[in-house]
Amino acid sequence: MNLPILPTTVVGSYSMPGWLERLKTEFFARRISRQDLDEIHNVAVKAAIKDQEVAGVDIITDGELRRDNMIDYFATRLPGVQTDQTSKKFYYDFYDSVVRGKIPMASLRLSDDFKFLAAFTDRATKFCVTGPHSLVKRIRDEYYNDEEAFAMDLARVMNQELKELVRSGARCIQIDEPYYSGFPEDIQWGVKVVNALVEGVDAKITLHICYGNRYGKPSWAGNYRYLFPAILEARVHQLSLEFARRGGEDLELFKEFPNKFELGVGSIDVKTHEVETADIVAERLRKALKFVPAERIFVLPDCGCLHLPQEVAFAKLKAMVQGTKIIRKELGG
Amino acid sequence: MILHINHVQPERAALASNVVSTLVSLAGDSQIPSRILDNLNVHLEWVQYKTNFREAVTLRRVNRGNEVLPWMEVGIDLRQAHPETLKQEFINALRDPGDPACAARQCIYLEPFTTMRSSMIWRFNNLFWQHLPLWEAASGKGFERALPGGTSDANHPEAVADAVADFWTLLKDLENHNQLPPEIFVLEIGVGTGKRAALWLDRFRLVDRERGTNYYPRIRFLLGDYSMPTLNRAMETVRDHRELGSFLAVDALDPFKSLSFLRYKVLSIHLTNVYDNLPTDEIVVRDGKLYFVEVRSYVPTAAAAKISESFGIPVAEFARTVSRLLEVGPQHVHPEGAEKGVAFWRTVWDAIRLEERFVAIQTILDAPLPAGVKTGLLENFVGEGVVMNSRFQLSSGAVESFLNTIPLLHPRGYLQVQDIFVTKLDDYSRMFRGPGKMDGSIVNWVNGALLAQVGAQAGYDVHFAPFRYREGSKTSILYTTQRE
Repeated sequence: MNLPILPTTVVGSYSMPGWLERLKTEFFARRISRQDLDEIHNVAVKAAIKDQEVAGVDIITDGELRRDNMIDYFATRLPGVQTDQTSKKFYYDFYDSVVRGKIPMASLRLSDDFKFLAAFTDRATKFCVTGPHSLVKRIRDEYYNDEEAFAMDLARVMNQELKELVRSGARCIQIDEPYYSGFPEDIQWGVKVVNALVEGVDAKITLHICYGNRYGKPSWAGNYRYLFPAILEARVHQLSLEFARRGGEDLELFKEFPNKFELGVGSIDVKTHEVETADIVAERLRKALKFVPAERIFVLPDCGCLHLPQEVAFAKLKAMVQGTKIIRKELGG
Repeated sequence: MILHINHVQPERAALASNVVSTLVSLAGDSQIPSRILDNLNVHLEWVQYKTNFREAVTLRRVNRGNEVLPWMEVGIDLRQAHPETLKQEFINALRDPGDPACAARQCIYLEPFTTMRSSMIWRFNNLFWQHLPLWEAASGKGFERALPGGTSDANHPEAVADAVADFWTLLKDLENHNQLPPEIFVLEIGVGTGKRAALWLDRFRLVDRERGTNYYPRIRFLLGDYSMPTLNRAMETVRDHRELGSFLAVDALDPFKSLSFLRYKVLSIHLTNVYDNLPTDEIVVRDGKLYFVEVRSYVPTAAAAKISESFGIPVAEFARTVSRLLEVGPQHVHPEGAEKGVAFWRTVWDAIRLEERFVAIQTILDAPLPAGVKTGLLENFVGEGVVMNSRFQLSSGAVESFLNTIPLLHPRGYLQVQDIFVTKLDDYSRMFRGPGKMDGSIVNWVNGALLAQVGAQAGYDVHFAPFRYREGSKTSILYTTQRE
């Protein structure tokens, strides 16, 4: 990957158009077919790719527009997880999912979606997966009776999937673990599970931890102090954290706990429709640069842009790119 | 002529029957031209409020752009209708307004046709809250006396105790997970006399002391209202807790505007009888087609003449004097001073009526919509829930207020609203839900069914529980829980 200093990227999801929400829900009402929905998804993903490219983002995703939410996309593919297909009316709701036996090894076929992304862009790409800790919080466990054991087994299955993604050409993989912030007491075993998940996966691994973005609002409050020092044991290259909405106070932690992580600096608040100016983004980055050297900083929104209207999401990404350019210039780039 | 009987109070069944036979005989005795009868819908209604903006018999015309459509509607309020005058009122209502034979329909308009939420009546509503002490001095009673039961349900001690118990449980749970914020923000919007806030704080302090949790000093109780006289009164009522209280000018339509610094920080937000007092628009469905309601305020000429004479104002100056009242306030509108000005205000308010007309629209998106609602949601709401003939409120102000309040909620926080809600769209067809007059203010039922949809879109499940603390109460409590 030939990237500029302070590469810009996204956390994963892109704005979900209202019409796509309705069509997804139509699918659940069996008013459109799976094939129709797949074709609709293909068109929507291409549009999301184009928007990110035009906004000037360096590392892009497929916008995760094929996903209902961060759980069900995986729950419905994970072998051994039973989902009650009648348990939701609105596409964004969670299925009632349950595991009643040991999770067997099988493919999740995520690489198909990665290949589609790679086929339609020349930019660097990133593929995002929900981490085992978050999955066990939403999938009812009737077998393991132990969240860590359940998560470890998920990690074992998903590890093979990440390796398959790498074989398909994925160079950047992001693990999403927002539920850490809701269950800070789990952080020790949460990190062990992530390490099992990425064992032997030859890609740049980002661990994204935010405070939730369900319906465009935070699910929890607090600060990132709970991550330390346990997170220092995580065998990942990058931490992606939210700083735009919450302010940069937690950046101090990177001084208090020296580490070698790259830092994905959340510089765009995805929980407001107010579009930041490039100057605001630049100011947020200047603050981050006081604690982490430029070579280790990536620039991204606090979380996915799923709940933002398309024009807002697009404008925010443009502001992020422009704000980054201001700092690159200041750094002599 | 098609007759729709929307609601009949059991004790008025005989009257309803009388009205029906009067209408049938009218249809048969050729006093009304057949071209009108062929296009006429008559709705027998029960207007919830004893004082409201309607006549016993009102005509509603229908426009599409500049064209006046042939079909028309007559509403008959069974609360006001009298069998002995009904026949003539009905004939008069259908006469051309310019017809000199129809003196009873002559009136002085106070504004041109406009959307309901923009009508002058809402300026009267503001006037009431801004000059509440003057109104109360003239009426000789506090505004709460006008409420059913003569007191606000918000102040029911048992309800307050339950609310405090729930809140304490939330705080304890947060503390158990080491997530209790250093400052515990509680917000009340629309503070009334301040009595509920005082009761809540008294009770919370007691519970906190009994359980030794020491949360009370961390409480930051914010009282928000757009009426300064109301805030001043509330400040006095909660004086025992002054060190925890802040009194803020808050626009109920957009609390976020003045409280954005508390985004995602407030653990409990409470409103009582606020949503029912916010501007609304109304949608009418007739034979599956959509219309929105436009209104214009008027005072019948006879009433205006009487008022003018009583207050020494030339009739020709009546409308202008009403405008001045809204501009300068009751203290300055009459040369004889505030007392006379307030009396003028009260008399005019009693006399004001709303003429309605329906404006044809292709889709709900052509109607004046509440700000911030996804248009797809409204299309679905109308598409799925609306029957062939119905009339319902968009509760524009309530919806806007809701959407501009929930961003203040802490991730574990909740919103509670005590008000009069229509929780199922079907219930609109059984009763006319406002607007009515409550003392000097306006009251409307609130479209809870729509609020539930709006809440779901924003990530909250919206529930309604009947207010069980006062027998016969029509109030419900809306409360939110986070959607998983």
